[in-house]
Amino acid sequence: MMQASWMLLLLAWGGHANTKTVGQTLPPVEPDVHLLADVRSVVLQGKSHTDKVDVPGPMNLTLQCTWTANGNKTLNVTGYWLKDGRDIDNSHVTLRLENQQVHLKRTFLIKNEESLGRYSCMFGNEAKADFILAVPHISDVRDKPVVSYVGDSVVLACKVDDRKPEPKTWLWFRANGTDKEQITTVAEPQKYQIKNAGKATKLHVHNLTRDDSGLFYCAAVFTIGTAVSHLELKVITIYEPLKPFVTIVLEVLILVTAILLFERGQSKKSQVQEASEKEVANAEPPATNAEPPAINVEPPTSTSSATPSGESNGLEKSSSARQRKS
Amino acid sequence: MWNSIELLKYFNSLWKLNFVSVPSDMPAKAASNLGYVPPDGGWGWAVVFASFISIGFAYAFPKSLTIYYKEIQEYFSISYSQIAWVSSAMLASMYAAGPVSSILVNRYGSRPVVIVGGLMVSSAMVLASFGTTIVHLYLCVGVIGGFGLAFNLQPALTIIGTYFHVKRPLANGLAMTGSPVVLFTLAPLNQFLFDSFGWRGSFLILGGLVLNCCVAGSLMRPADKKVQTQLKSEPRESNGADEPPADNQAVEIQNESTKKDCVHRFIDVSLFKHRGFLIYLIGNVVMLFGFFGPVVFLAPYAKHLGVDEYSAAFLLSIFALVDMFVRPTIGFIGNTKWIRPKIQYLFSFAVSSNGVCHLLCPLASGYVGLVVYAVFFGMSFGMVCSLLFEVLMDLVGAHRFSTAVGLVTIIECGPVLLGPPLSGALVDIFGDYKYMYYACGVLMLVPGLFFFIMHYYNYKRLDEEQRQRPSAEMKTCAEAVRLKMNQDEAQE
Repeated sequence: MMQASWMLLLLAWGGHANTKTVGQTLPPVEPDVHLLADVRSVVLQGKSHTDKVDVPGPMNLTLQCTWTANGNKTLNVTGYWLKDGRDIDNSHVTLRLENQQVHLKRTFLIKNEESLGRYSCMFGNEAKADFILAVPHISDVRDKPVVSYVGDSVVLACKVDDRKPEPKTWLWFRANGTDKEQITTVAEPQKYQIKNAGKATKLHVHNLTRDDSGLFYCAAVFTIGTAVSHLELKVITIYEPLKPFVTIVLEVLILVTAILLFERGQSKKSQVQEASEKEVANAEPPATNAEPPAINVEPPTSTSSATPSGESNGLEKSSSARQRKS
Repeated sequence: MWNSIELLKYFNSLWKLNFVSVPSDMPAKAASNLGYVPPDGGWGWAVVFASFISIGFAYAFPKSLTIYYKEIQEYFSISYSQIAWVSSAMLASMYAAGPVSSILVNRYGSRPVVIVGGLMVSSAMVLASFGTTIVHLYLCVGVIGGFGLAFNLQPALTIIGTYFHVKRPLANGLAMTGSPVVLFTLAPLNQFLFDSFGWRGSFLILGGLVLNCCVAGSLMRPADKKVQTQLKSEPRESNGADEPPADNQAVEIQNESTKKDCVHRFIDVSLFKHRGFLIYLIGNVVMLFGFFGPVVFLAPYAKHLGVDEYSAAFLLSIFALVDMFVRPTIGFIGNTKWIRPKIQYLFSFAVSSNGVCHLLCPLASGYVGLVVYAVFFGMSFGMVCSLLFEVLMDLVGAHRFSTAVGLVTIIECGPVLLGPPLSGALVDIFGDYKYMYYACGVLMLVPGLFFFIMHYYNYKRLDEEQRQRPSAEMKTCAEAVRLKMNQDEAQE
């Protein structure tokens, strides 16, 4: 997103001269042997196709398109190239179908950021393939803010994918109003530390304060241009998580107290029950001795008096055994 | 290797040395080994809920912390393997503290141990949130946290045995469901905490959340041991003079145990002569090498086959969901009168099905194949987890379970820790996941078959032992009581 706006800026400044011409003049290439060369090919299956090409530095890029005409009887097709939607001069070619296939191939000299953009190979109005040439962009970073604490330190990281080329260097910027201010370790070595390691970069920020909250930008600098991505930092105090923590501790204390009080209440009730039932038991000794507390493999019917009321359970069971007997 | 006859002779000789063999097809008889009749309901269900929470935190908490690892790794500028040590330390402490936990439970009961465990994990997390070095995290989260979780796990398992006998497989199955449910809840919660508070704040809040284990502990009321059975004198005879029940809260048994040797009371080494215990131990040690590896590598394998990241994570969700529903179901099935007497076979089947599942995994093609594999794997995994401790209780009896599980966990520490790295090494060496799946499949199928065979002999042996006992003791308690009642009727 950032790079798009920067590109627009550059194009607006540099492309000012171009608005007068109808099309863009890209002279046919004299391959510069010192430059890298690469080839990208596309075989069009349907009506259109898009391919993204990472261009880290100036290079000679050959783009090839192959199209299979499906059942169309037209023998001749006009093939041509577009850059950013505008015709490229001298690119129109009349192609003859060979085995229902046509090929378009052209080598482009990508020398600076202006050369980047969307290159399209067109087969008349039938089909097209787009090649989006751009500076390799930075891997998706968190869209949610990175959270850290006052007085603590934090590490912000950016990296490009392993498969992509390595940037020449990395730069970090801090949002300052609408501008971006570059972070240099020279100015404040205790505060900022930048560790670049090829395809990744890390910014260490120490002694955080509330003012450090905001947007940070990491820029991957390639020969041909710069890719930028941003990270948000949020600095909070320890009191923020402390509030839910205290709430939960209170909840636990309340629950534990309630459970233990409930248990104490139950055991007092059953002690009273036991005492009264002991009197009953003493009143009729022969009956109780005849039936031992039966092993009841069914769960006790009264669930509320499950535990402390041992004697009452035994008496209940003996009464049920008596019932079974009779 | 020994053939089956020699194996039988060995076990026969062990039996003659007078060790306990709890007949597992007489559940009511084993209940009398406890010295009282467990409630099998009532407050027991509250205890099941409490165990659900404790077991859930014990198993799910270490797994859910991995969400923070990336940020902590960057913060301390360390490598991935260094941060992974936190998980390993936590798991190792949790398993190593097993015997300590058992001893404490035997001595003080489940409730105080769980409450102390909850406080330990909580303070460990709070301390860790102020950590300045990675070693700080190893010690706090790893060691102290691991110990605290062990103090949650063992008592939670043990107390179910004291509250349930007839419905014990169901209770165990329900309690073990805590693990996937808590994991399912913690995973998005941890993500939310991380987004809002970073890792330090999240550790602080997690420290608070884990205090709910203390709530679970407060629910773990000691079971009422006063309901004695008249037949309790008989089980003490069959137990043998040198096998005191570990549970010394019942008054008569306590008097006996105080006369016993101190060491013997703490670490019941005689368990190693227990046939069922040995079968369980040997089979489990081998099985655990291949148990957790496939879980860890499910998502990476999917990505390797070209599945995108979200669909790979979805596979894990399917696995966890199936696991969640299978556990109580198997608990219920294990409780039925057809399965309960021969529940060891169900466990053997569960282990074997894991093995078969992994062996067939490399045949799974495409995402649909992987989904089918995830479903069957979830089912098998849930089956094993649900029955894992129930079968141990079934073999050694509820009163020795606490000691047994302590010994088992510390011995299982090795395979549990080594399993995933070894699986990873297999993947790295061959560059292909299928050899790891074959290895894990074999590592689970062989113990499964081992269990089938050994338990077949064990059941036969137990049946013979029962027949050799005097007839009155052979009948189930209920039958005996009915006999007595009939006799009383006849007399009147």
